[in-house]
Amino acid sequence: MTVLELNNLSKSFGGVRAVDRVSMGFRKGRITGLIGPNGAGKTTVFNLISGFLKPDEGKISYQDQTITGILPWKVARMGIGRLFQDIHLFPHMRVVDNILAAFQKQTGENPLLALFVRPKVTAEEKNHRGQTQELLRFVGLSDKANELAENLSHGQQKLLSIARLLAAEADVLLMDEPTAGVSPQMVDKILDLIKRLAENGRTVVFIEHNMNVVIEIADWVYFMDNGQVASFGSPDDVLGDPEVRKAYIGV
Amino acid sequence: MLPQLIANGLVMGCSYALVALGFALIYNTTRTFHFAHGGVYVLSAYLLYTFRNLWGIPLVPAAILTLLLIAFLGVAIDEVLYRPLVKRGSSQPIQMLSSLGLYIVIINLIAMFYGNETKMLSPGVQPTYTVGHIILARTQIVTAVTFVVLFVSLLFLLRKSRMGKTIRALRDDPELVSASGINARFFRWSVFALGSVLAGVAAILAGLDVGIDPNIGMTALLSGAVAVIIGGVGVFEGAALGGIALGLLQSLAIWQTSARWQDMVTFVVLIVFLLFRPQGLFGIRRRAEEMAG
Amino acid sequence: MNYLLHILVIICIYLVLGLSLNLIVGYTGLLSLSHAAFYGIGAYIGTLLMMNLGLGFLPSLALAVIGAMLLSLTISIPSLRLKGDYFMLATLGFQIIVFAVLYNWVGLTRGPFGIPGIPRPSLFGFQLRTVGHYLGFSVAVAAICLGLLFLITHSPFGRVLKAIREDEMAAAALGKDTPRLKVVAFSIAAGFAAVSGVLFATYMRYIDPTSFTLMESIFILSVIVIGGTGNVSGPIAGTILLIVLPEALRFLRIPDAIAANMRQVIYGLAIILIMRYRPQGLLGEYRFE
Ligand SMILES: Nc1ncnc2c1ncn2[C@@H]1O[C@H](COP(=O)(O)OP(=O)(O)OP(=O)(O)O)[C@@H](O)[C@H]1O
Ligand SMILES: [Mg+2]
Repeated sequence: MTVLELNNLSKSFGGVRAVDRVSMGFRKGRITGLIGPNGAGKTTVFNLISGFLKPDEGKISYQDQTITGILPWKVARMGIGRLFQDIHLFPHMRVVDNILAAFQKQTGENPLLALFVRPKVTAEEKNHRGQTQELLRFVGLSDKANELAENLSHGQQKLLSIARLLAAEADVLLMDEPTAGVSPQMVDKILDLIKRLAENGRTVVFIEHNMNVVIEIADWVYFMDNGQVASFGSPDDVLGDPEVRKAYIGV
Repeated sequence: MLPQLIANGLVMGCSYALVALGFALIYNTTRTFHFAHGGVYVLSAYLLYTFRNLWGIPLVPAAILTLLLIAFLGVAIDEVLYRPLVKRGSSQPIQMLSSLGLYIVIINLIAMFYGNETKMLSPGVQPTYTVGHIILARTQIVTAVTFVVLFVSLLFLLRKSRMGKTIRALRDDPELVSASGINARFFRWSVFALGSVLAGVAAILAGLDVGIDPNIGMTALLSGAVAVIIGGVGVFEGAALGGIALGLLQSLAIWQTSARWQDMVTFVVLIVFLLFRPQGLFGIRRRAEEMAG
Repeated sequence: MNYLLHILVIICIYLVLGLSLNLIVGYTGLLSLSHAAFYGIGAYIGTLLMMNLGLGFLPSLALAVIGAMLLSLTISIPSLRLKGDYFMLATLGFQIIVFAVLYNWVGLTRGPFGIPGIPRPSLFGFQLRTVGHYLGFSVAVAAICLGLLFLITHSPFGRVLKAIREDEMAAAALGKDTPRLKVVAFSIAAGFAAVSGVLFATYMRYIDPTSFTLMESIFILSVIVIGGTGNVSGPIAGTILLIVLPEALRFLRIPDAIAANMRQVIYGLAIILIMRYRPQGLLGEYRFE
């Protein structure tokens, strides 16, 4: 089943057509890789889906609803989560608070309820703290729980942003270079995680420059060049395509 | 009645437009929300008052001396206040609060030395001229002419000179300044000097027309900044037209209500624009891009 | 002795002002120059309800708070889409307008003549008469307000506000309705400022618009910028310092005419130096980054 569909999307910045009539479909429970040279428009596609940019033309549908031009927080509420290429943590908050802020439908986010329905808020908070400990253990950051996020190394920050995304429990995960700058052992762990998420019925779209990673986990690959979809298919087909090899890998 | 109000509004608008142009010049190229611009404005008026009314220097040399000092002050503010912050990569709120701090220091020093009461720069009755049904004071005519001359020269400078090209490039991408090989420091000096002089001219003319007190700077700053929003942030011509539009609106509103509600007009205009046309009359909508930036 | 009690009452009033503004500045990351406007709105609504409609103290207080919260929407909703600098400009405009209304709507507010003879509250049959009584009452009100603000900032709501302050884009990507949260934070702060306003009016028993000027807004902002924002101790330190220090300066016998301006010059310089060398203020956490 196609959960998320892009129809003829275009977006220009000044004279540059960063995304040029792009159509893509992402299927439930599948992992789709988005590859292409620097500046091909991959991140811009994510920005269009998550509502940070408005397309000049085209349509985005999610579960048969049109979501084109909807505000980012609404898109996120509908279940589309996002990992940023440049991480975007809350730098002066503690690691635990970075994750705690991500949980959805928190009763205590309403200040009145936070003041006057304290037992419920406290119970929820306890539950979230438990889940946060688990997530931190999973990404190996348990001993950093009370550090400020800005004091983590780049790789650790990336892991924290992944943990934060998991806490948000989105159905569609847009991951912009999830393995960039992470240690090799951690890369394997992240790939296992991505596979597991897909098995649980999540829809994963990831942008990746490491072709081994793409071959290992992607079910389906889009190759973008100059804002356009230049090739798509199974990883073997796309990476075997002489055009792609020429344009991208340089062989 | 109506033509007179329109004329008054246009002249008032010219004064706002000068403040707005100075503010926009500094804001667009350095991204500094220059609160102290209001302080520069007040100080210009009091410098002229000192030179002319206290020391008896004739108007024109006194005005030139004032503007030279004010240009120097603009540069000094950048060097002493902003540059160390910019060099350290301080955030915009830090720069704004510092600027606000300087504004407070300037106007309170002025109040300490000169007192809070209104001072007249040109005592006695000004000569007036009658054109049809419109009566204009000499200062009003000088204000309009000065604005036109300065505006045209500024446009010329922006379109033709190398500095103008840099200013326009920076408006589109403020990060450019370090990459483009231009002497960033000298460039900032020019912008702050020029911007301050524009505020100074407006302050002198308005002071000659209606008198001065330490609080004129905040109203001027507010009107100037709102004019920038009306015209569209990043559009120099827009800032000038925004100022004139604001002056006209205020003048017409006074006709319908009372002078006491003049500030209210500025605010209502601000809210209307923020709600319905945040990019201003001539600006381009770019919020989404900024959000993803 | 009464003088000391008076200073303590004033400290209570400013603690509520400072800590509520902290919710906007230190937690949500927005600079606001309109806090004195909400302080004044509270003082005037409360006073007018008590004196013109004969309402009791508590109902007047409640309506003053609600009124300030509603009026805050007129500025926060249009300004939301603004980036930081223009948000501050909009709040400055609001402050100037509120002052103009208080000053010029003579029919309602008596304008520059002010409103004298405001009744001291009587609560549950107990009439507050002396400054000592009033101090006890202010301490109780301030304690309740500070307690509520503490709970709010330490709740998931406070945490999301901080997240918005740190990175609004990331917060939005996590499904946080950032525009609404900012509006709510702003109106809560306005509501608490109104409590201070009613406290001030019933303590002084006289109000006029000059207590609610732009300079007052700048002063409240200075208090928390100098003390520090983003936690509780910063604004408390700032309030005590900026209320007590000028009183100490009185003993230096500076002529009254320039004492007020001189104080402002010192605040201005303090802000500049703090921003340069210690942006988190004396005891604050948030460094305006
Ligand atoms: N907010 C923006 N404003 C202006 N131009 C932009 C903006 N975002 C992207 N671009 C331009 O659009 C093009 C596509 O950029 P994009 O970030 O989508 O590439 P990408 O495929 O993600 O590259 P990379 O692999 O380096 O991350 C580039 O030319 C870039 O400069
Ligand atoms: Mg990218």
